[in-house]
Amino acid sequence: MAVGPASVARPAPLTGRTASRRSVLERESVFSWMMLAPGVLFLLAFVAYPFFYGIFLSLQDRRVASAGTFVGLANFVAQAHDAVFWQVTRNTFVYTIAATVLKMVGGLAMALVINQQFRGRNLARAFLLLPFIVPTVLSTVAWMWILDPTFSVINWTLLHSGLIAQNFSWLGNKTLAMVSIIMVNTWRGLPFYGITLLAGLQTISPDLYEAAAIDGASTVQRFWYITLPVLKPVLIIVTMFSVIFTFSDFQLPYILTHGGPANATHLFATYAFDIGMSAGVLGSGAAVALAMLPALAALIVALTLYLRRE
Amino acid sequence: MTTRRAFITGTLAATAGAALPLRHAAAAPKSMTVVRESSFIKPFDDYFAKTLAGEYEKQTGIKIIYEATSVGGMLTRLTTIAETKSGPEIAMTALNWPHLFDKSLVDVSDVAGEIGKQLGGWHENVLEVVVVNKKWKALPWGNIGQLEVYRTDWFKEVGVNKFPETWEDLLAAGRLLKKKGHPFGFELGHGFGDNHGWLYPLLWSYGGREVDRDGKTVLIDSAETAKAVDFCRKFYQETMLEDVLGWTDVNNNKAFFGEQISCTNNASSILEVGLRQFPDIAKVTDHGMNPAGPKGRFHLINALSHAVLVHAPDPPAAKAFLRWLYDDKQMSRWLASANAYYAPFLHGYDNHPMWNVEPRYLPYKESLKTSRPHTWPGPQGPAAAESVAKYVLVDMFAKACRGDATKDVIATAASQLKQIYKAK
Repeated sequence: MAVGPASVARPAPLTGRTASRRSVLERESVFSWMMLAPGVLFLLAFVAYPFFYGIFLSLQDRRVASAGTFVGLANFVAQAHDAVFWQVTRNTFVYTIAATVLKMVGGLAMALVINQQFRGRNLARAFLLLPFIVPTVLSTVAWMWILDPTFSVINWTLLHSGLIAQNFSWLGNKTLAMVSIIMVNTWRGLPFYGITLLAGLQTISPDLYEAAAIDGASTVQRFWYITLPVLKPVLIIVTMFSVIFTFSDFQLPYILTHGGPANATHLFATYAFDIGMSAGVLGSGAAVALAMLPALAALIVALTLYLRRE
Repeated sequence: MTTRRAFITGTLAATAGAALPLRHAAAAPKSMTVVRESSFIKPFDDYFAKTLAGEYEKQTGIKIIYEATSVGGMLTRLTTIAETKSGPEIAMTALNWPHLFDKSLVDVSDVAGEIGKQLGGWHENVLEVVVVNKKWKALPWGNIGQLEVYRTDWFKEVGVNKFPETWEDLLAAGRLLKKKGHPFGFELGHGFGDNHGWLYPLLWSYGGREVDRDGKTVLIDSAETAKAVDFCRKFYQETMLEDVLGWTDVNNNKAFFGEQISCTNNASSILEVGLRQFPDIAKVTDHGMNPAGPKGRFHLINALSHAVLVHAPDPPAAKAFLRWLYDDKQMSRWLASANAYYAPFLHGYDNHPMWNVEPRYLPYKESLKTSRPHTWPGPQGPAAAESVAKYVLVDMFAKACRGDATKDVIATAASQLKQIYKAK
């Protein structure tokens, strides 16, 4: 093959300024920061600023549309003496733990099922994503009807199948109201677990299962000694995200019960909103919202350390 | 003899004085925005946006933009406007918001005085919610009353031909109706209006009070409150559905039109919607005043008003618009478009023709005389707003209804109120 003279193929020499600009851009440290900059700026503006402003507010006696005065930790001390705050704390932990466990178990089961070969698998996968795709406000309004004592399809089914003698008061009874919001949260969050764990399942080489089967491992043993260990990092990451979202959930309980009956379903986010926005006590509302921080921070640190160790 | 310095000073002052009105005229706004919560009565909003706004623009050249927020969302919107000091020039206020947003609102005492003079004077009880430190901070256009809405046919079935006058009589009627499969449905959950709408009046009618006039003495722990709580528990257990403990404001409307309940506490929106969408139910729907207790009969004030925000580029222009809007030529037509949904606080409208169209709305006018603001007789300040937002009173009654002891629920409420009012 004929090759032209080297001088033809060689690019024209760069001017001094362009060359130095290019060499700066080619430096990994500069280029990586350039790529990171939009994300970092976004996080600074929409996460870091509100977060630090929230801390600033929580240290003030600050009413809406008024100047604040620095009160140190007085808002946190006041919360510690507020019986409703402790009820809200209990509610949030019960809600988060119950919903997360249900989503984890249900999501894993969902992933294992849709990882199998069967007819209409892709359609099933698409349908299973629906709860996650539909806007929460919209789906929660649908749940309001589903849980309504008169129009509840659940009550109707139970009543007409003879399983109950009278309708359940899903949102009027304090225990059932908590069960209801956990149920709706689980329904909404299950696809997130299912699809993410499915992605994890698909990375497991079939050779491992074949080898285990040849060695005589049962289905349960294959799940326990192959599937679960490989999925563990994915499971931990998904759980971390799910706990954060569930712990700070607002839309769902706010629309379904607004924290009622008698605060039985009030969570940190709904209580903080009522104090900060409805009562106009911004400092105190920020203090309630920040009460979520220690638990979430501890969880994130613990899970991150665990992942690193692994 | 005029010195040179005096001449120059005088000339400059005169020039500046002459220039000011010109500057003002030149800076007259091209448009102004009015934000209000979407009304349950659509023709009321439409009349403002399509008729009145157009008329004002024709007369003055100033375009009036109407921004509607969703029902229950106005407080959040107002908070955002006040905190960012930007957005609409005129905003709706309700409940005791003029006290909460005092520093963000323009003094409109002059306009209120003129309107009062023209239209027979203001009802005294509204002053408590819109006058802050002797200054009018909002101009009320009407009250959304909370009364008893009931099924006349079912009440007649159990021999009750007239709405009961006292809580005890209503309880007696409710027992009969529940036995017939027509329970009551009074909201005891975390809604924004239909719960406080009957629970404050119930407390007051038994002589109970949250806090004293001084805003420092918590009065909830009293024998009168205990009587009200005991009555409420009995009323709930013997007349209602369990679900009311978790209801928000939409549930009782749904239940009424679902023919699930025979009586509830609500604004006149149920009848209004019934007349349009459920004519058969509307035919047998009527209103009753809140029943009387041993210490009288009470209702709740919810004065919907317009306020001018201090960040408005031209507050006098905003006030001029409100002066025009509250003129009888406009206000009379606008109120009529709402089918008496809003009961005006102006004595000049006590016998307005809008009250003759549908006599079933008349109790809403009558209720004004016995209406008081939330937390009355306590002061209408931030602490009152906090008490309402934390549902202290609602939860006290709701917990008693689900079975908690009277003394325990009152003790919890007293402890919360002492913290809120910073009382000992």
